[in-house]
Amino acid sequence: MSNLHLELKKMIIESLDLEDIEASEIIDDAPLFVDGLGLDSIDALEIGLALQKRYGIKLKADAEETRQHFSSINALVALVESHGSK
Amino acid sequence: MKKLTPLSCWLRIPPTHTIAVTLGETIAAQALKKNVEDWMRVIHSKSGARWAVFHHDSYEFLSILLALWQLQRIACVPGDNRPGTVKRLTSHVDGFIGEFPIQSVLTANACLPASESQQLPLQQLPLQQLAQPWQPLDPDAIALEIYTSGSTGEPTPISKTLAQLEREIAILESLWPTRLSHPSDNQSPVQNSSEQNSLLQNSAVKKCSVVLGTVSHQHLYGMTFRLLWPFCSGRVFETTICEYTEDILYQAHHYSTFELISSPSHLGRINTSIDWEPLKQRCIGIVSSAAPLSREDSTNVRALLDTSVREIYGSSETGAVAWRIQTPDQKESLWQSLPQINLSSTDEGTLRVTSPYLGDVNQLTLADKVEFIQPGKFRLIGRIDRIVKVEGKRVSLAAIEQQLLKNNEVRGARALTLTRTRIETAVVIQLTESAWLQLQQYGRKPLITRLKNHLSADFETVVLPRRWRFVQQLPYNLQGKIPLQTLQSMFDKEPVKWPEISAECVTDNQATLHCYIPVTLLYFDGHFAENPILPGIVQVHWAEAYGRRLLSVTGCFLSLEVIKFKSIIPPGQQITLTLIYDQETKKLSFSYTSDKGEHSSGRLCFE
Repeated sequence: MSNLHLELKKMIIESLDLEDIEASEIIDDAPLFVDGLGLDSIDALEIGLALQKRYGIKLKADAEETRQHFSSINALVALVESHGSK
Repeated sequence: MKKLTPLSCWLRIPPTHTIAVTLGETIAAQALKKNVEDWMRVIHSKSGARWAVFHHDSYEFLSILLALWQLQRIACVPGDNRPGTVKRLTSHVDGFIGEFPIQSVLTANACLPASESQQLPLQQLPLQQLAQPWQPLDPDAIALEIYTSGSTGEPTPISKTLAQLEREIAILESLWPTRLSHPSDNQSPVQNSSEQNSLLQNSAVKKCSVVLGTVSHQHLYGMTFRLLWPFCSGRVFETTICEYTEDILYQAHHYSTFELISSPSHLGRINTSIDWEPLKQRCIGIVSSAAPLSREDSTNVRALLDTSVREIYGSSETGAVAWRIQTPDQKESLWQSLPQINLSSTDEGTLRVTSPYLGDVNQLTLADKVEFIQPGKFRLIGRIDRIVKVEGKRVSLAAIEQQLLKNNEVRGARALTLTRTRIETAVVIQLTESAWLQLQQYGRKPLITRLKNHLSADFETVVLPRRWRFVQQLPYNLQGKIPLQTLQSMFDKEPVKWPEISAECVTDNQATLHCYIPVTLLYFDGHFAENPILPGIVQVHWAEAYGRRLLSVTGCFLSLEVIKFKSIIPPGQQITLTLIYDQETKKLSFSYTSDKGEHSSGRLCFE
């Protein structure tokens, strides 16, 4: 698990105010929504805001693309990394 | 100003008139009529008056409603299409149309169950078989049943006639008249090219003022404000919902001006770092409902879009009844009644609504407590029943409890709402004996997962409990009641899951932690009521966790090689945890000792 993976997991737990979950328990490629971590549409809004606040990432206004980026920790890591390399 | 077309006379809308757009593509009234006809073909040979309708696309949803109404059927509209909702609706309706996770649902392609496939495909049935399919609709027939959470958790239908919907729309229109020009009002190409945005290809679309929404049309507020009112007043609605606030920006770019139908869930989470500046000129209205918007969020949105937020207060039972605009210079902005609506307070302090669009009755009392400051002007204080709004979604706490009680691990349950970073539900659960043992052995997570799964068929994810407390006995007071305050206090702090460390010493491969075992430690809950002791599994878990943190243990946990529990660790014990990690063999030894000697020791093997 890279530092960025851990950082994003911590960001999610903190910004969503999650209980009963540790960063180490979030699986990198498991879905964040519905079946995996069970996050909901309000959580998605909060993750969007947290990404903006911490990494200055602005989501493209394309719901489908955003859904891809938010699909797992690995996808979020890819998003943050590609943003950093721009 | 455009004249309002009554919903029952929707066929009067001129065929070329644009009624909807989907990301810049226009949909004219004649296309709608064609689509309605297609849905009528799907529906009309089916018997049964009452049909459950769910569709994510607002245009298709409207088409299904109109098709049902043309066929003198009733549209039953649930808030979601979850399996539990379908199950509960089954006894209320004759069938399902649109998007439901069941085989027998009627879709646009008329997917029929195998047993019926021998019949003539529905698409080929001539509509002429119907006696006069394109009659104006009967405004006084029941057209709509909205399903919301009743206090018992059973779905309670709220019936509406078209006349009720029409009267509400007429009152809204009288207060906030539609003033916009419309593409089909102006058939000639747009004259003034300097006003055109080069991004916009289609001049018809570009001239559009469009109603965008972040709220679903499956609820009455969204249905009225996003769909039916725009439709009847000649405004254009966007068929796709804005899921993220970024989507608002994206969708709005397609149109010359837009109105936004939203709720505090979205308006409270607008990404302020986006450049909203280009939208300032285009935004001509923002409506928020489903829950009161905070003053801060209202002010924030006003600054971003240069438009004040008009809040609507109402319910599925009454439709819209009051409104307010929070202005920066007023400390408190009171709610005021809509025209022709009379509001007063009952003896219990709840809101009594007298309105021309309540149906059979002309008066109805809502479960919201209110305080009148002046005639017709009031503030909201809270609800008296156990129906709450969680992020704008109505949910019955009693229904959550009842559903939990159906689980054989649950003996008692109390649900409540908490306001933390968001408004959320939480539950305190009294477990059965065997569930307690499971909890002690396997921890909270599998139990929470089971209970969440148990609820998820019936409740939307947004309203599922986010915080769980397990007790052996619900905290009844001497009066035999469970005080809300006691329940709330159980969530005041995060559960204590770790020892308090007073000193930490790490050398190459060894770590020594001097710690105190907090009396409030979560793991003492019910382990055991009279004689709390620190569970062995927790000792192993801590050893592993600190090993990973302090001694760079990496690999996956493989096995527990040796484990000895010599004496119990009670709450309040001072204890020393010693960890030694052998890099070669990837084995982590641990021991818990105190002035009483060794309590436990063991060895964990890693991959």
